[in-house]
Amino acid sequence: MKPINYVDELNSHYGSLGFPPYQWTVNQTAPLVRLDKPLEQCTVSLLTSGGISHCSLPGFDPNARNDHRLDTVKNDADSRDFDINDSYYDHTDAEADLNCVFPIDRLRELVQDGTIGGVAARFWSGFMGRIYNRTKVLEESAPAFIEKLKEDGVDILIAAPA
Amino acid sequence: MGLVCRVAEEAGIATVCLSTGRDLTAQVRPPRSLFVNYPMGNNFGGPSDLDLQTRILRRALSMIHDADVAGTLVDWEEEWPKTFAYFRGK
Repeated sequence: MKPINYVDELNSHYGSLGFPPYQWTVNQTAPLVRLDKPLEQCTVSLLTSGGISHCSLPGFDPNARNDHRLDTVKNDADSRDFDINDSYYDHTDAEADLNCVFPIDRLRELVQDGTIGGVAARFWSGFMGRIYNRTKVLEESAPAFIEKLKEDGVDILIAAPA
Repeated sequence: MGLVCRVAEEAGIATVCLSTGRDLTAQVRPPRSLFVNYPMGNNFGGPSDLDLQTRILRRALSMIHDADVAGTLVDWEEEWPKTFAYFRGK
């Protein structure tokens, strides 16, 4: 099937709920890192924005706006120990198997079979949808997050928005 | 997430973004994106489909070295078994 036109759908849906028009970011260029080591020597971390929280913590606000909460997830966490709170998508499948959206089990298997060097000490969950204050992401939240990735020696970040 | 990927890459960390919204990702232009035309929340496929989840993850990782051009967006070829629509809540 043809991809859904999310820009139009989101503008229409959230406009009807009284949200202000979203100023979409349009970039013409992008940065690119060229890693000088093979995957089997790389440390990999994962980031989800799917409202996924460990059961030991309070859940995310499913209707959050401008929520810059960012949770750490231990790299040996059990994938059955999470709650999902996000009105943005249907997480029925992800509740049955977290790996649909946050594949922590699958990534750990790739360490076992030698595809990647290792997983970072921490995985991450945050940056939920409907963040209107983009400048704060670019100037505060994301740089602070990247510092933590560097502390963990992360070479590769896999980011899975929901 | 695309913005976060861009900031990470500018700081020297290679990224790949698993997108389910092709138009959203195309305009933000993260450094590398794998577009999976599945419902949001199924970026890596369906529950208990370990084989599909792993194949998507491997394909994403392969882009770290294979993508020569900044802003590369690759389309995952395998179709979702059902048609689906924009999610307006339950």
